[in-house]
Amino acid sequence: MSVQVVAAKMAEVELKDVPSGKDLSAGPSLSAGKGLGKSEATSTSTAASPTAESTGNPGKMPQASALKRTDPQQNGGEAFVNRDGTVAEAPRMKKIQFADQKQEFNKRPSKIGRRSLSRSISQSSTDSYSSAASYTDSSDDETSPRDKQQKNSKGNGDFCIKNIKQAEFGRREIEIAEQEMPALMALRKRAQGEKPLAGAKVVGCTHITAQTAVLMETLSALGAQCRWAACNIYSTQNEVAAALAEGGFSVFAWKGESEDDFWWCIDRCVNVEGWQPNMILDDGGDLTHWIYKKYPNMFKKIKGIVEESVTGVHRLYQLSKAGKLCVPAMNVNDSVTKQKFDNLYCCRESILDGLKRTTDVMFGGKQVVVCGYGEVGKGCCAALKAMGSIVYVTEIDPICALQACMDGFRLVKLNEVIRQVDIVITCTGNKNVVVRENLDRMKNGCIVCNMGHSNTEIDVASLRTPELTWERVRSQVDHVIWPDGKRIVLLAEGRLLNLSCSTVPTFVLSITATTQALALIELYNAPEGRYKQDVYLLPKKMDEYVASLHLPTFDAHLTELSDEQAKYLGLNKNGPFKPNYYRY
Amino acid sequence: MSELAGGGEAKAEVKQASKDVKESENVAEKYSAMTVSKNSEMNMGDLTTVLSAVPTHKPVKKQIQFVEDKQEFNRFPTKTGRRSLSRSISQSSTDSYSSDSSDDETSPRDKTQVNVKGSSDFCVKNIKQAEFGRREIEIAEQDMAALISLRKRAQSEKPLAGAKVVGCTHITAQTAVLIETLVALGAQCRWTACNIYSTQNEVAAALAEFGVSVFAWKGESEDDFWWCIDRCVNTEGWQPNMILDDGGDLTHWMYKKYPNVFKKIRGIVEESVTGVHRLYQLSKAGKLCVPAMNVNDSVTKQKFDNLYCCRESILDGLKRTTDVMFGGKQVVVCGYGEVGKGCCAALKALGAIVCVTEIDPICALQACMDGFRVVKLNEIIRHVDVIITCTGNKNVVTRDQLDRMKNGSIVCNMGHSNTEIDVASLRTPELTWERVRSQVDHVIWPDGKRVILLAEGRLLNLSCSTVPTFVLSITATTQALALIELYNAPEGRYKQDVYLLPKKMDEYVASLHLATFDAHLTELSDEQAKYLGLNKNGPFKPNYYRY
Repeated sequence: MSVQVVAAKMAEVELKDVPSGKDLSAGPSLSAGKGLGKSEATSTSTAASPTAESTGNPGKMPQASALKRTDPQQNGGEAFVNRDGTVAEAPRMKKIQFADQKQEFNKRPSKIGRRSLSRSISQSSTDSYSSAASYTDSSDDETSPRDKQQKNSKGNGDFCIKNIKQAEFGRREIEIAEQEMPALMALRKRAQGEKPLAGAKVVGCTHITAQTAVLMETLSALGAQCRWAACNIYSTQNEVAAALAEGGFSVFAWKGESEDDFWWCIDRCVNVEGWQPNMILDDGGDLTHWIYKKYPNMFKKIKGIVEESVTGVHRLYQLSKAGKLCVPAMNVNDSVTKQKFDNLYCCRESILDGLKRTTDVMFGGKQVVVCGYGEVGKGCCAALKAMGSIVYVTEIDPICALQACMDGFRLVKLNEVIRQVDIVITCTGNKNVVVRENLDRMKNGCIVCNMGHSNTEIDVASLRTPELTWERVRSQVDHVIWPDGKRIVLLAEGRLLNLSCSTVPTFVLSITATTQALALIELYNAPEGRYKQDVYLLPKKMDEYVASLHLPTFDAHLTELSDEQAKYLGLNKNGPFKPNYYRY
Repeated sequence: MSELAGGGEAKAEVKQASKDVKESENVAEKYSAMTVSKNSEMNMGDLTTVLSAVPTHKPVKKQIQFVEDKQEFNRFPTKTGRRSLSRSISQSSTDSYSSDSSDDETSPRDKTQVNVKGSSDFCVKNIKQAEFGRREIEIAEQDMAALISLRKRAQSEKPLAGAKVVGCTHITAQTAVLIETLVALGAQCRWTACNIYSTQNEVAAALAEFGVSVFAWKGESEDDFWWCIDRCVNTEGWQPNMILDDGGDLTHWMYKKYPNVFKKIRGIVEESVTGVHRLYQLSKAGKLCVPAMNVNDSVTKQKFDNLYCCRESILDGLKRTTDVMFGGKQVVVCGYGEVGKGCCAALKALGAIVCVTEIDPICALQACMDGFRVVKLNEIIRHVDVIITCTGNKNVVTRDQLDRMKNGSIVCNMGHSNTEIDVASLRTPELTWERVRSQVDHVIWPDGKRVILLAEGRLLNLSCSTVPTFVLSITATTQALALIELYNAPEGRYKQDVYLLPKKMDEYVASLHLATFDAHLTELSDEQAKYLGLNKNGPFKPNYYRY
């Protein structure tokens, strides 16, 4: 229950973005419910939902966007490239919203391109803390963390967080997360002897959650020095930040920063005497942008940037196109493993979870139409088919359509089946896939939800007319009632079901975090000249390594090539095993 | 019936295969060295040896074997790179009723035959079989609706008007439908066979009767093979301007023997892995002076040749040969590429308990997420009832493992050539071989344990099951569209290089096949297209999309 509530709040945040910050505080009440059974991880993931929307489509976006420069909304990117001193001049209030708009845009070009979950997730993971809210009781003093002098037990005061006293609770959260991130722990052990990041000075700007904390501590174990800020003003888990500060990390972040706080934190992260960063780990591109604009000399000395979000990658590609990117950057968003987990595997589970939590529907024998057969659509169809549903698919791309046919789904136009279906699921990345006319013709009790992109796929606005009655029956569940008494069940008001009404497993976040850590190691240790001033994809070998680190979770035993076999295949025994164009 | 046919077909394959094995070892050796260098960046030295290894002045007898060898080699580099099915398939579909032995034994080269129109510019086994061939073609047409609809859609514009196409492919009913489609679109065609065994004589006769100059019969000698190709190309008053090739032999012949004609070619369409590889070599050496289209790697063709085709043929092949029941059987599938994914999905659906072995961690993780246990072969070899290899590798199942299998377990290969199971190691005196059916051997250990080996370790899907015309239709449609694209491309769109089929064409191939499923594609509204930044008619995905 509580989970849903949290989700709901998050959703609002998404919609209104900045202004609704206060609503979040309501979170604590939720936490009570949640706290019961669910591990932090779960709740955490829930919180991520808002982020998800903002993140937009993963890898594909960058190029696509490059193609379609004409879109006015894009200006975000252009601003970055063209306007000098934008950051300083631009009203800070706008800044964050601006980023979101960009993301919106970015999601369009490719259907697959859902926003990188990891971004959203960690955000969601944030609120789990709402579960933590129990400790963060409102009796906390309301002075801004910026005005407080705090020191950790070692007497170090080089951090800025809500309350250092919460460190113990945060530590507990981190320990729980560690259990579900065995890959990162294994990496810690395997690479600890060599300290591959010895001498690396990493500034990071990501969601500050228990999962991120595991990543930071891993980096530290590998020899890196880290300073960290939050990439989202709402997403910080205060306890975790406290635990990190207590552990000696210079963290500048708290939940509910103002925009001014946001940039102040980033600046404090970067601008410190006697310490100059040589690596950037970014989520959204804000940190990169800040350093690029404010500390160009420092920027030039950076050895590498690791960027995980669609938005950030898009901004990097723009910079690169303009010839202004003077350091190598790694796009981890488009790695095979991350993509598959963000879309196919994650959605395959969350479609059932989301529908069950909200409607308690039984799937067997139900007629379901899934709009779109990309990675998300494939996941939804597979899950529903396995539950015994009768699944129809709509598609615009003939190749995906043929795949649907060969997988045993009837390919139809929405209008042909709209009168008979029990559930409509959209995952096209498009807009107005389900319009008022379709909704008018649905049968009584039909469930309508969106798994694809933002809140554009279902034309919800068209339902806000006087003759229709809206009845909220649960959190995230509305009955829309026609004059003749027909009801349609609309979930999450047309926003993303998987983010609003279900959770994202820590395992998925582990994939992302491991990928980031390996990208840092690769960039930091690459011999001179391997990476030029451009945006790179993670080398396939690293991608394979991420996958291999997660195999023990399944007790999976990988076969090794014999020397003879490796020679026969013309492969190195340790990979990479596939050419770059391999489709998996 | 079909089983008999399968048997005959297999014999042909065996002959070829055994020849290959003997003579190709060293060559394969040589090439595997090359593979490595190819991965990095092939240097010119290697290239010249490769090229000079295919010389025209060498004894012609060697030539074909050599090609086979190369194919062997070519399959290594990517695991996905199975030999193009269409090539092997048509081979099998042949045997059913071609040439009964009562046919006169004079070589077609020595016979003069004339079709009803009085033309004798062809060379086939027996023109009188044309009627039977026509019937075969008509049957094929029913399953190749896409090609027929292409014929209708493009017939009025005649997009190939003026095109003079020389083709070198398997000559089967399906190819005939393709050829007649090209003719309907305005092209003139001359055709020859890309394999000495695969020609369906009746179909060749029907094509000759139809007016296409065909030079092909079943059971050509190597000398005949090159003679046919030459007759195809070297004709007075007719100069080809397009090449449709399968295996690269025709391209190679023209490149070597008729360089002047070659230079005037507007485009080459190549469908096989081997041929594509040869084109890339030529291109790297800077000797490719015309644009070429690689249709082998188009998305649609790849998915059908591997995933969908093997998903069905694994069950079909096992049933036909062993009548095994799948429910509850423990099966291990070696390799989780496209072929492995297909096999696993099919077996899981029938209730088998499926384990997977993999070397690539990404594919291994996919197997985990799809609900299969990832194991090493040795861990479960004692328990399994069926072993299926689809790795593209060699010696995946060794004698050591075969020794430890339980009585009655089935061993077969879906992957690549005949290298995956170390069959040679079973040819030892203490083991007894018993052929129980065509394609099925019992290998009996001294203690009485039997292991059931299918197709002697060669490809199960080619030896023991059939390939649906629908799959060949995908290939043929892709070829036709590639020809149209190359022929009509504005000057400068294609340079002297090897290209992949444009995504839009790939999507068109798929859309032509949707009608078979009564599938109704949704169209983008203008507003939606604008929102997505796409053209309403595609292409709908960026090139790197993985499907």
